[in-house]
Amino acid sequence: MTKEWTLRELAAESGIPERTIRFYISKGILDPPLRGGRGAAYGPDHLTRLQEIRGLQAKGLMLAEIARLPEPPAAAAGLPAPSSWESYAIADDVIVWVRGESSPWRAKHIRSALREFASRIQKNSPKGDDNERT
Amino acid sequence: MSALEIATHGFIPTSAVTGKEIKLAMQRLWLVGRILPVGARLLVRHTFRSEEEKPQEVIYAFGLPRDAALRRFRISGEGFSARSELRTVEKAVEAYEKGMEEGHLAAMARQYQDGVVNLSVGNIRPGEEVTVLLEVLAGVEAHDDGLRFRFPFTLAPAYHSKARMAEVRPGYGEIELPGDEFGDVILPQFASDASSLHEVGFDLSVTVPGPISEVSSPSHPLRTVSRSHGHSRLSLATARDLPDRDLVIDVRSADAKGAVLTGTDSQGKGRFAALIPSPNFGETAEEPRRIVFVLDRSGSMQGAPIAQARKALEACLAALSEEDRFGIVAFDNTAEVFKKDLVAADMKNREKAAEFLAKIDARGGTELAAAIQAAAKIFDREAGDIMLLTDGQVSGIDPIIGTARATGLRVHCLGIGSAGQDFFLARLARETGAVSRSVTPRERVDLTAVDLFASIGRPVASDLKARVEGFEEGSVSPAPPKYVFAGTPLLLFGETSGQGEGRLLLEWTGHGQPGTLDLPLAIRGGGEGETLRLLQGARLINDLEGQMEAPEGSERRTGRRGLKMLENLSQNYGLASRAMALVAVVERKGDRPGELALTRVVPVGMPQDVNFAAYFAMRGQALAGPGGLFEMSTIGDTCLRSDMAELPESRYSMRVKSLAGPVARDLDILKKSQKLDEADAELLTLAARIEPDGGMPGKTEEERALASILAILQFLAAGHSWRSGTFRKHVQRLVKFLEGGKLQNDTVREIVKRARTGNTLPGEWSKKKPEPSLWAELAKALGI
Repeated sequence: MTKEWTLRELAAESGIPERTIRFYISKGILDPPLRGGRGAAYGPDHLTRLQEIRGLQAKGLMLAEIARLPEPPAAAAGLPAPSSWESYAIADDVIVWVRGESSPWRAKHIRSALREFASRIQKNSPKGDDNERT
Repeated sequence: MSALEIATHGFIPTSAVTGKEIKLAMQRLWLVGRILPVGARLLVRHTFRSEEEKPQEVIYAFGLPRDAALRRFRISGEGFSARSELRTVEKAVEAYEKGMEEGHLAAMARQYQDGVVNLSVGNIRPGEEVTVLLEVLAGVEAHDDGLRFRFPFTLAPAYHSKARMAEVRPGYGEIELPGDEFGDVILPQFASDASSLHEVGFDLSVTVPGPISEVSSPSHPLRTVSRSHGHSRLSLATARDLPDRDLVIDVRSADAKGAVLTGTDSQGKGRFAALIPSPNFGETAEEPRRIVFVLDRSGSMQGAPIAQARKALEACLAALSEEDRFGIVAFDNTAEVFKKDLVAADMKNREKAAEFLAKIDARGGTELAAAIQAAAKIFDREAGDIMLLTDGQVSGIDPIIGTARATGLRVHCLGIGSAGQDFFLARLARETGAVSRSVTPRERVDLTAVDLFASIGRPVASDLKARVEGFEEGSVSPAPPKYVFAGTPLLLFGETSGQGEGRLLLEWTGHGQPGTLDLPLAIRGGGEGETLRLLQGARLINDLEGQMEAPEGSERRTGRRGLKMLENLSQNYGLASRAMALVAVVERKGDRPGELALTRVVPVGMPQDVNFAAYFAMRGQALAGPGGLFEMSTIGDTCLRSDMAELPESRYSMRVKSLAGPVARDLDILKKSQKLDEADAELLTLAARIEPDGGMPGKTEEERALASILAILQFLAAGHSWRSGTFRKHVQRLVKFLEGGKLQNDTVREIVKRARTGNTLPGEWSKKKPEPSLWAELAKALGI
């Protein structure tokens, strides 16, 4: 028989207070108890997920981001770690790709450079006012 | 207290956008209570109603006002009413969770670091309305001639190097603090637009000794309900308001004589609070000053605050004389110094400082501890004053206070921002033996800065000792502060064994000489005794909390022992603290155990003029809206105040967005801020032109004397003299220049006399030029 805990026991087991666990459930990042009502119980999956949430938080993810992760990382087993890239459609014929995880300061510089680039490209766009073209 | 009976308005919140009714977990917040010159006793009434189909757990997070402590709450609804109990945090959490498990209505008010409180009310049934009436003791900002009371209706986002911040849906930001340092505190969503949030309002009474000359509010329209000698009852002039700014109430007394409030508490002990205006201690000694200005240039200071702060600093520099030495630190994530040592306040250095200041704009985070350390380095172990201009929007205040205290320097604080920061800045100032002032960006920051600067140079009193005589037992606690500064009265709390008549004796060193004051202490039954006991307790708790942590990196001095002391103090005074929380559990008929309550965190409004984008912009691109459809524009040089260098190695989604057609948002604070009053701006410019020898510039001795006379006359006309007014330091310097000059005649002597007494000379002097023909005009006007 698989292990079952009450909310209090789950809190003691995970080191995460009950109030916080209820908060996670309401945010949709943790499943509700296995059964409702008086016999509400939580299983090992809850504990695993709580540990996972702690891990993701330690990596810098916010709860709102954790809530948006489409599937738990376990589902991606066997594949190389994915990385995210941002694409900026600067003009109809120009797309710039930027790696998604740069530091805020780096990202800020990149965006500011892109803005300059974008304004130049848009001025010289084939459809636009092209008096600068020779 | 009749003020508790507040009529409810049939108020149904609707969305400003859709016009539809909004489901609010918390409907309204109403503040009632009494403001005394030594503190305030407040009741905050929170009305919760569940529109959900399941039981609800509502969490409301708010910041405490300065020197505040929670006393108790009453929770009531249909057919029940219960009082809170004071328990250790651990026991309170246990009782709350047990109540939750049993399906009872459970409520807990728990204070975390930085004065942030989580009020949790669990198991509110569908359709049920629950009211929590929370009693709060709070301090006020005492001035010699009155007081300023501030109460946070909003919560300002605050900087922390490890905080994570993001816009989670359009117009709503979230902040998460590292759990190892901040525990399980739950912070709300910060709403950039407060129009769909709960309603707020207030009904307060003000009682001061002597007649009140003015009660006003720069934040809210006031209605005076009743008014008599020394007493005024006021309320919000409109039916309700939005939680988009904090409440500020200014009270001016007609006379600044000070007061001793007395009474007996519930146990029959005598209690008193003495408020002694600074002029009782004599004048400031004229010695060379050593001062470092520390200017917060974090992103949240953008716009009017930084512009006003820059202008203020230039005027402050002009009030320094050649013997004075100064330094400047501007900080965000890092601290930038003007010069690495203290420099003389001569013309060359002042000009260079102005150039340095001109380049300071707002950006980045708020690494306050580093800035204070940088200032300490400039002092190079010399004693002196720091004048800190900041919005104080930081999390994790204990290590900052510890760092500041360790430098041994006085950190005078000018808080430019919301009331939630008073908790921190008032504590930082007091813990370092300094004074603090608070101002909103919509007020004249520059004038308040100049005024604060004029008071802080040298204390009017130091080595203060106080004792009580004439009672079996009598004491003053907390111990008197180390210093008294001009403009800020001395506030002492104390107790006696019972009723009777005795004396409060004060001794100090002022102007190099000893001073004494002998105040009669008549204690009779009742009176304000119980309130004074509670205010004293709140102050003692705040002082102890302020001393609980040593600077970051060094070994913590207190830990368990400190918590135990705090617990005892809490018990003694019946007040909550970081060691003790308030909890109540109400059993209702038909409570269903085991049902999981839905958590609803009440969104809060941000203070006006706090730039939403400065905190939440960047990460918002990733979070707000599916696939990055919602795009935050980057405004000017706004930066995210968050350290996100620790982002995970991988992400699970790819975001596509376009730079074309960014959503422009008008966040120009300058536009919203009050236009500079022409006359005040002129005085500031005048003040900034004073040369290091104290005189106005000019080509000849005569021209300089005449220009200085004209400047004095302009200051006098605006109510600034040697003794009083924001520009008193500047008037003093001009007078000294004239007195020490070669050019002496009856006109000069008469002008100096007028400057010292505050006697104006009618005439359009601001339009005159410092030409020799002016002597005759002056003589005529003076009747010489």
